[in-house]
Amino acid sequence: MKGIDVLLVEDSLTDAELMIRALKRQRITQDVLHIRDGQEALDYLFGEGLYAGRPPENCPKLVMLDLKLPKVNGVEVVQRIKSEEKLKVIPVVMVTSSKEEKDILRSYQSGVNSFVSKPLTFDELLNVVSEIGCYWLLLNRSSENIN
Amino acid sequence: METTIQKIAGVETDLKERIRVLEGVQKAMMNLLEDFNFEKDRLENSQKATLNILEDYDMEKIRLEGVQRAVFNILEDFSEEKVRLVETQRASVNILEDFETEKAKLDVVNKELEREIGERRRAEKELEFFNYSVSHDLRGPLRAIDGFSKILVEDYRGKVDEEGMRILNVIMESAKKMGRLIDELLALSRVGQKGVVKNKIDMRSLVDRVVHEVQRTLACPSVRVVIQNLPDAYGDAILIEQVLTNLVSNAFKFTRKHDKPAIEIGFQDGKGEVVYAVKDNGIGFDMKYHNKLFGVFERLHREEEFEGTGVGLAIVQRIVQKHGGRVWAEGKVGQGATFYFTLPS
Repeated sequence: MKGIDVLLVEDSLTDAELMIRALKRQRITQDVLHIRDGQEALDYLFGEGLYAGRPPENCPKLVMLDLKLPKVNGVEVVQRIKSEEKLKVIPVVMVTSSKEEKDILRSYQSGVNSFVSKPLTFDELLNVVSEIGCYWLLLNRSSENIN
Repeated sequence: METTIQKIAGVETDLKERIRVLEGVQKAMMNLLEDFNFEKDRLENSQKATLNILEDYDMEKIRLEGVQRAVFNILEDFSEEKVRLVETQRASVNILEDFETEKAKLDVVNKELEREIGERRRAEKELEFFNYSVSHDLRGPLRAIDGFSKILVEDYRGKVDEEGMRILNVIMESAKKMGRLIDELLALSRVGQKGVVKNKIDMRSLVDRVVHEVQRTLACPSVRVVIQNLPDAYGDAILIEQVLTNLVSNAFKFTRKHDKPAIEIGFQDGKGEVVYAVKDNGIGFDMKYHNKLFGVFERLHREEEFEGTGVGLAIVQRIVQKHGGRVWAEGKVGQGATFYFTLPS
């Protein structure tokens, strides 16, 4: 039982729909789980709470998340992921509207592998998502220890 | 006769007795006189001693009078000093009172200033929060408008006619434009927030760089550009670069329709300032609108004629004013325009 391809942690339904559609359109993957707040994301990854019983070793191949999330924010989620032995190997990409320097710094300090600004137009979003997907799921080599 | 001899013998005895007594008296008297002389001497000595004592007493009296006079002088001086000290003390108390009043005034002023600083800081924080909010939250719906319009176009292509497509395009273009407006407004407000860090600026090479960059971005190589030997300026290099970029971009933009576009960047020395000028031979403007030029989102031309949101000149004005300078422009319809800005020397 392997993990999903992409865990998308995104508060906005419209942004999530656009990004999932982009991943599908660009033929990157359709195996995307969309979670809408930071706490649920942690529950899923750690196999706790709502997802008690799910084995954390079956982790996603890629996590894409926004900064601003309800309950637990993006930076905190990344910190938790990157301080857990079983989970710190997962590539995490921050995809967020913010371009503020302090947000970028905070994110890298928490351990994200990459920080990408959400573009304004759908066409650009298609390109960005396609590049992220291509890079992290296809080009980038992950350890065999992750599914 | 016997009795007479007896009587005479008795008288003689009496007389001898009396002589003896008298001798005794005389002796006593002599003793008395001696004692008397003795006493007299003693008294004379006493008198002498008393006279000496009286003399000493006089001398002492004179000395004491001298001392008394000296003491009186000291007491007088002391009184004067006391009066002076009381006056000095009064003056000191007055100064202390004045000082207390001034200090109280300064405290009031300080409190007022602190309150204002606190308010400004709060306003700055609110603005920062506002900017962040705008940047983050407004983009989401914009993205949705653009994205879902495209989805509509893609998934319902067969079911939407030409007019429908045109309408959808208007929607998407409006979303794009709003995104640009947001970016420009953010840029404008960021200029307001940043402090000005002043250093010496080599204006000649800065203008060279800006002109090359603008030419590259706008892709108009055929414009003739003349740059005078501009003197160094004193200001924030990043902000002044922004000013020049905006003015030079405008110059390029509004000369696009000219068959021989020309731009000149020069200067004039003024009193305590340098006047820089960016001149073009483009379409110019009517001087009666010169007040509106630097307003936010003010435009003098139709959108289809010249793109732009109308914030560029507002940014120029804000930056130059932050440096303590002024901006203004002169123009003639069809004959070009010159934009001036001053920087204190």
